[in-house]
Amino acid sequence: MTIDAKAAKDHSVVERWIEDQREWQKTAMTYLDSMVKNDDFLVHLGNAMRGSLLAGKPYPTASPAAAAAPAQEAPADDRLDRVLFALHEMQGQLNDLRLTLDELRNGGKGKPTATSRAKKATSSKATAKVRRRTTGARKAGKKRG
Amino acid sequence: MSTSDDEQERELEALLELSRRGRAKLERLHEVLTTPGHYGTGATPAQVVYTENKLRLLRLLDESGQPRAGKPAVLFVPAPVSRYFIVDLLPGRSFAGHVAAAGFDVFVIDFGTPTSEDRYADLAYYVDGLVRRSVRMVTTITGQPAINVVGYCLGGTLSLLYSALYPETVARLVLLTTMVDGDVQGGIAWVAHRMGLEGESYDNPRLVPAAEVKSWFEMLAPGSNSLVGRVSDLWDRLDDPAARLRDVRTMATWVDDVVPAPGRLLAELYRKFGPGRNSLMTGRTTVGTRVVELAAVRMPLLSVSAEKDAIAPPEGADAIVKIVPHAEVLRLPGGHVGIVAGRTAASLWQRTVEFLASPRG
Repeated sequence: MTIDAKAAKDHSVVERWIEDQREWQKTAMTYLDSMVKNDDFLVHLGNAMRGSLLAGKPYPTASPAAAAAPAQEAPADDRLDRVLFALHEMQGQLNDLRLTLDELRNGGKGKPTATSRAKKATSSKATAKVRRRTTGARKAGKKRG
Repeated sequence: MSTSDDEQERELEALLELSRRGRAKLERLHEVLTTPGHYGTGATPAQVVYTENKLRLLRLLDESGQPRAGKPAVLFVPAPVSRYFIVDLLPGRSFAGHVAAAGFDVFVIDFGTPTSEDRYADLAYYVDGLVRRSVRMVTTITGQPAINVVGYCLGGTLSLLYSALYPETVARLVLLTTMVDGDVQGGIAWVAHRMGLEGESYDNPRLVPAAEVKSWFEMLAPGSNSLVGRVSDLWDRLDDPAARLRDVRTMATWVDDVVPAPGRLLAELYRKFGPGRNSLMTGRTTVGTRVVELAAVRMPLLSVSAEKDAIAPPEGADAIVKIVPHAEVLRLPGGHVGIVAGRTAASLWQRTVEFLASPRG
């Protein structure tokens, strides 16, 4: 190889190196741009730096050891939760009752007019009113399956 | 050119190549990080047709925003300890969407996220309450007395018990990665056993935190929670196409998105079906005060297991033929999540559609 050819080749390597550095600058600017313009990007990047591609929420920080260590005890006073859960059960019984009524109204078939109403059957007041009635309806509903 | 010049040039070229590849990985990472992972909800347009407590019953809609009325109904029952949209993850990556497009009126249960009071929910609340009323709602809406049920993981257990209690309402049953033999070692039941689930109280239950439930899953894949391991895996994966990375991101997001679990339900599952108990394999168990005879499951049943399932070992799922002899057992390559929503999931979707569409024999 002549001295000129070698110089040309070296120049080419240098040029490519400089070009590569420019590309790195572009990549860095793209990251900086996203960090400035997109608040969530830092969350995503933080997750990626922890080796995760979780989207949209911070990486969970609780370690398995910490999570598994002291078992979370049930609350001492559980009366409110017991009442709330009983209301949920009653809501289901009430929905059974409404479905049964719908079936009776439609001769056992057809579109449910209760569909939309069933969604609203969450009022504890309404639930309390039918509490006694649903006891019998629950059995009827179970038989219907 | 001398040998040392050649070596120097080769080194420079190698350095440039290394630099180029590293930059390409970072550019691909940027592309992935600036596009959404999953929607945090189902991908297919749907309408809510029933709600109860945290449960929502969704009915998938077609391209014109209408339900596929008149088509055979299919109800998907996902596991209540994870997010429902694993069966409807992304456009083109939706099990439920695929079944709907094949000509079925598809409904999906979203059990929602339990809160403190839901720790009292037991098997009867799920099977004879939420699942039964969801099926009832579907039969009422569609006018079909018997519908198809597809249960995934623990949702499969609920579906199996329901089908045994109310067989006349189930036309066909598909169980996906559903353990029935609790004595098969490995899997989430054994991990939970070792993590102290045996001590979970039925009478005074707690709401088991999502982080604790997740830790059981992580124990099944040692190293998955190691920082070095995860970063190294991710750096290696950045050579993959961006579309593949988005899939990985989507699946990782779902896997990390575990919800809290009702302690009473876990205690009951463990006491009845866990290692050493194993009442499903006796063919008889109970839900609430009702006796469940698995011999009542006479509808066509397809049970699908995954070869590399670390959560529900395939031997534990395939054992269904010992209690429901007419069950068709299919073992597919892949893992617990991959067979439902991974790159190879299409084979499961297609097989399920064929099973649901085949004439009842």
